[in-house]
Amino acid sequence: MITFKMNGKTVQGEEGQYILQVAQKYGIDIPTLCYHKALEPAGMCRLCTVELFDGRRTRFVTACNYPIWEGMEVKTDSEAVRKGRKLIVELLFARCPDVPLLKNLAKKYGIVEPRFKKEQDDCILCGLCTRICEKMGNAAISLTGRGTEMKVDTPFHIQTEYCMGCGACASVCPTGHIKLEDISKHAVKKIPSEYDMGLKGRKPIYVPYAQAIPNIPAIDRSKCMHFKTGGCKICAEFCGVGAIDYTQKDEIIELEVGAIILAPGFQPFDPSKHDTYNYARLPNVVTSMEFERILSASGPTMGHLARMSDHKEPKKIAWLQCVGSREIHPSDHPYCSSVCCMYAIKEAVIAKEHSGADLECAIFYMDMRTHGKEFERYYDAAREKHGVRFIRCRVHTVEGVPGTEDLSVRYATEDGALHKETFDMVVLSVGLESSPEVMELAGKLGIDLTESHFCRTGSFAPVATSKEGIYVCGAFQGPKDIPQSVIEASSAAARAGALLSSARNTLTKTKEVIEQKDTRGERPRIGVFVCHCGINIGSVVDVPAVRDYAKTLPYVEYVADNLYSCSQDTQDAMTQVIKANNLNRIVVAACTPKTHEPLFQETLVAAGLNKYLFEMTNIRNQDSWVHKESPSKATVKAKDLVRMATAKVALMEGLPEAALDVNQRALVIGGGISGMAAAKTLSDQGYQVDLIEREPVLGGQAINLYKTWQGEDIQENLKTLVTSVQGDKNIETHLGAELTQVEGFVGNFKSTFKAGGTKGTLEHGIAVLATGCYEHKPEEYLYGKDPRILTHQELDRKFIDQDSSLKRIKCAVFIQCVGSREPERPYCSRVCCTHSIGSALHLKEINPGMDVYILNRDIRTYGERELLYRAAREAGVIFIRFSRAQKPRVTVGKEGIEIEVMDHVLQRPVIVMADLLTLASAIVPYKDEKLAQFFKVPMSEDGFFVEAHAKLGPSQFATDGVFLCGMAHYPKPIDESVAQAQAAASRAVTLLARKNISVSGMVAYANPAVCSSCGVCVEICPYSAPSFIPKGPFAGKAEINPVLCKGCGLCVSSCRSGALNLKGFEEGQIMAMINEM
Amino acid sequence: MNDWQPKITAFLCNWCSYGAADLAGVSRLQYPSNIRVIRVPCSARVSPKLILAAFRHGADGVWVSG
Amino acid sequence: MFEYTRKIREIARKLLEKGTVDVFIGYRKGTVAMMNEPVLIKDPAEVDFLHWDSHCGLNLCNYLTGRTDRIGLVANGCNSRNIVTHIIENQIKREQLYIVGIPCRGIIDHRAVKRAVGNREILEVGEEGESFTVSGKGFQEVFQKKDFLRTNCAVCVHRNPVEYDEMVADPVPELEGVNPFKDVEGIEKKSADEKRQFFTQLIASCIRCYACRNACPLCYCPTCFVDESRPQWVGKSIDPVDTMTFHFLRAYHCAGRCTDCGACERVCPVGIPMRQFTKKLNKDVFEYFGWEAGVRADQRPPLDVYRVDDYNEFVK
Repeated sequence: MITFKMNGKTVQGEEGQYILQVAQKYGIDIPTLCYHKALEPAGMCRLCTVELFDGRRTRFVTACNYPIWEGMEVKTDSEAVRKGRKLIVELLFARCPDVPLLKNLAKKYGIVEPRFKKEQDDCILCGLCTRICEKMGNAAISLTGRGTEMKVDTPFHIQTEYCMGCGACASVCPTGHIKLEDISKHAVKKIPSEYDMGLKGRKPIYVPYAQAIPNIPAIDRSKCMHFKTGGCKICAEFCGVGAIDYTQKDEIIELEVGAIILAPGFQPFDPSKHDTYNYARLPNVVTSMEFERILSASGPTMGHLARMSDHKEPKKIAWLQCVGSREIHPSDHPYCSSVCCMYAIKEAVIAKEHSGADLECAIFYMDMRTHGKEFERYYDAAREKHGVRFIRCRVHTVEGVPGTEDLSVRYATEDGALHKETFDMVVLSVGLESSPEVMELAGKLGIDLTESHFCRTGSFAPVATSKEGIYVCGAFQGPKDIPQSVIEASSAAARAGALLSSARNTLTKTKEVIEQKDTRGERPRIGVFVCHCGINIGSVVDVPAVRDYAKTLPYVEYVADNLYSCSQDTQDAMTQVIKANNLNRIVVAACTPKTHEPLFQETLVAAGLNKYLFEMTNIRNQDSWVHKESPSKATVKAKDLVRMATAKVALMEGLPEAALDVNQRALVIGGGISGMAAAKTLSDQGYQVDLIEREPVLGGQAINLYKTWQGEDIQENLKTLVTSVQGDKNIETHLGAELTQVEGFVGNFKSTFKAGGTKGTLEHGIAVLATGCYEHKPEEYLYGKDPRILTHQELDRKFIDQDSSLKRIKCAVFIQCVGSREPERPYCSRVCCTHSIGSALHLKEINPGMDVYILNRDIRTYGERELLYRAAREAGVIFIRFSRAQKPRVTVGKEGIEIEVMDHVLQRPVIVMADLLTLASAIVPYKDEKLAQFFKVPMSEDGFFVEAHAKLGPSQFATDGVFLCGMAHYPKPIDESVAQAQAAASRAVTLLARKNISVSGMVAYANPAVCSSCGVCVEICPYSAPSFIPKGPFAGKAEINPVLCKGCGLCVSSCRSGALNLKGFEEGQIMAMINEM
Repeated sequence: MNDWQPKITAFLCNWCSYGAADLAGVSRLQYPSNIRVIRVPCSARVSPKLILAAFRHGADGVWVSG
Repeated sequence: MFEYTRKIREIARKLLEKGTVDVFIGYRKGTVAMMNEPVLIKDPAEVDFLHWDSHCGLNLCNYLTGRTDRIGLVANGCNSRNIVTHIIENQIKREQLYIVGIPCRGIIDHRAVKRAVGNREILEVGEEGESFTVSGKGFQEVFQKKDFLRTNCAVCVHRNPVEYDEMVADPVPELEGVNPFKDVEGIEKKSADEKRQFFTQLIASCIRCYACRNACPLCYCPTCFVDESRPQWVGKSIDPVDTMTFHFLRAYHCAGRCTDCGACERVCPVGIPMRQFTKKLNKDVFEYFGWEAGVRADQRPPLDVYRVDDYNEFVK
């Protein structure tokens, strides 16, 4: 350690350091132009000149490359230094009068006009570019010539082959003199960021995206200069922990597994194949994926809606649907990509939120397919509340408006009129497709694909590939959205789990348990550990000062600073320190608790302390990284944060984490396809199941269904399923049964049911609600008034029975959306379009000469069901669209059923005389409020159960231990019902397999003595954790079931009486932090 | 008065806003240092009592985010 | 008004004699003019204490909290809404109550009357139809009721009880075309600084006696937050910041529950119009959630529940 004086103050630096480095450590500003921390200093620009007194005389030296020595005295800001710097700036300014950097510097030093002759150069000869090029191991450029002739150049002043276009020179050039195209013979491009769809560049060493797991950088060997020249290695020099390893090689790892799950996803359709959209040529034609990034706060415009060509805020945006989907052109796909209608609406609504209501959004579509749960409502709100314009027209050409960056779109409205409209941006709603790599993988595995290149699966085994033991989920199974992907993911896990259930827990190890010290009643003895995080914190925050400050705080017995608190040796040392100093509360001031709290808590446990006697405070992500420019303020903040943390930790208590046994039996409510599939999956995993069905037979709605959209015989498959359930010794079925009472909670339910005259009691750990839906009996279109007017199930019954009367039908009509997408039932019933088309095709098979009409509002044959729609059109089925305002009119006459419908193309009414009218009536939930109350689960306005999370938790409830599947969740076809049944079982098994649930320590608790019984907590908790004490002295007061509590604290903040509190975030603890702020 | 800086107390939800504040750090977004964050398990944990307590203890602005 | 009183006595006697209720809660004439006080009667012989006129300004719902016996009580519009709130919040069971509904014509603001007679001591007050007479040593004046209604009564749109077992008279017509939130709208228009000044001024004279809290039927907590010491939310002094904190928090605890009965203002010894706080919240819950406290018994107040379609325009 070398001690010397800087500006009169004693400072210290390491042997071999230069003056500038020490000055930076102490926050003393010395201006530089030619200095770069990654390069050996060269003293080229002289701007960092400082005054040095060596005991005898004063000299001027450049701070960047003058090594420090014991006893020297440095002045960085004396009058003489300032004068000298001013002259240097003046000279450079005269040389490069137009360079912004020097203009600013000149202004700072009070120079209006240089006294020297002005030149028109833009290079200050700092040599950063040549030094970095050399460092890159390349030396494509160097300083050539001498004296006034000196300049940065390539050999023979010509573009060089040797430049690899890495851009290092340009990136360090302070004046913008370096232009890569002057140097390199090769075309130079930024490295497109894959995550930002190429709208942004990235570095050769990079974290793919901020939420990546593991969140550590990777080196792109094809771009990294080190792998080309052997040079650079700057990342290794700067990495304080030596994590950079250039020798790592790709390895082939062989795994022996019992099952494989394929979840390779999709790739977005590439619209540059089509020159009609001009996607490749016009920068403001973007794909929906690019638009997602433009809307994202972490995207290229940081969430500011701007078009890429000129960064102008768009005023009008058009979305073109079905780009690459629903198209017969060979480079496109004939299937529907399922998700684009909904994401386009979402993008339009979010764009309006970002940009303000005056942004005009127009969506050009063929059929609006909002067939998902709550999607139709979103569509209605987009149209009616947010003013998104929907135009039914397939746009085929996008053209640039000459002389502008705008785009022109030509389209026809439904009345046949042609329009031309200008937009600022056009978003192509690109579809989903399987990538060539995935198809290749499928080939290697030998699994069958559909003609659309998705994995072939059956409706009754929706995640099983054609090869046993290989399962599939997500968009590779067929284009789909997040909820359905998540459902299939769980479903595939369930199937794999069933296959491997005999091997469960055979590869586990038991963790060593260290005895916990009882610290109750002890005076707090706090240890505070302040982390440098290499230079991440230490280069901004004065860590030793924070450490010393911590020592002055109440109850603090021990303080230390660590270079890396998270390193294994520091962890071991901390364990020793805690034991040696008998510490009973720990504060770590370091990075974020979101990533590192569990690690430090483990250290506490290793030292025999309860893990909750800990508080972590964030002086990196929320301090040093975000206040780089003001180290002193960052240090003050760090001290405040440490003070707040110690104040809180002093009040922390050791919290128990009780374990609770989980009853290993399962209850499934509903004996339809979903319920049976769920029961079967649970049984396959080795669990005992009680299956309750309200009807006297198993089968549910499937009893009346003919064929799946894939053509499988439902009755045959249903029979197999029923037989396998009835023959399963793990499954006990209770037919004609109804639940009368449910007590208990996750792991320990007790349900009572009555079946016929008898009553039964079931004890179970989990419950799956699969109560299904039924077909709405229409009141419109003369249903019930004529035997030729049927519902879908009634028609299917005729198909099943091979009713010969079907052969005699000459004309059949289907009317869609009967009772769906109506004010009283505003959801889409999802299955009816496909069902009608399937039935229409069956009728055509029976009698190819039959005229078949399908009157619809939108045809929603999502995914590969679209192929069925195409087949129907090819078979001559006629589709006529009507609007809700102008519904078909049905009258019954002698000659048949007369149906009058307004044809939108002809713009006049069309009359069809039919001898069969099938009404695609709505799918309606049972709205079983009693069941909802029993299990304390929510129900939507429409009567469907509300899952824990619409996207990420579609098959479980917020209430622990209760799951849902099938049509009780939302109308869905058999394949999706089976998938969700398996998913619900899968989620349930994650709970059952643990055998006991560990209750978090951070849960709410009640003090009944001050409870006012007002019941807000009972009402407001989404997890049903609070309840009223049933009897005893505190009857009617609140209590919290810690097993159900998620520790959010909603009840605590809602409690007016102060009867509730949250362990780990007690009122007093938060107040202590506020007090110390 | 011009260089007056308000003292801001922020109650950030552990699961979203606190993570977002972390992400701001990862992205090296720079912002003024006169904010003190209190991590809460959920923005629902923040009652009017806590907000008023922060004001009582000298906060000029209270930010609840979750 | 005597007709009301007669009917109340008759019903109370009937209930007590039959044993339908164990106790009857009503008002009796106060020892000070215009200050009627609550009375609990168990003996049918004492029902003649019961009285009703335009000076029954306290909220009887206060006396229901936590009772286990059977109770008869009189309730006008706002009091009945508080009873409903009490039922929703498990403070009393509907089955325990026999509610004698009073179609209310408004309660008189005793302070305004006092001001009108130059703050002379009023010894007698009589009521006849739409006017009333006050007299004291050496003066007697007749006033019109409509000119002296409490500000909450002047804009009341629930004069008739929402829940009752028996009415003492036919319902009175509800006021039409009144804007209950006119004064709040005035405050909303103020700038932040003006608001601060307004509210600081408003509570400047508060002596922290908590009479408002004690008179409020919503404030039934066993321990009020002002009395908590671990942690101490509010200082005990009359420091303006502490006083402001108390009033703000008290108002927040009433959000979605306050029926604007005016008991708090009536009992304030220094005459603070603290309804300015609660009314803003009443306005907000009405505008954002379409909710008026105590009007429906089948739903919890909006701040007690979460619904998907809840007001969320602030999330942007």
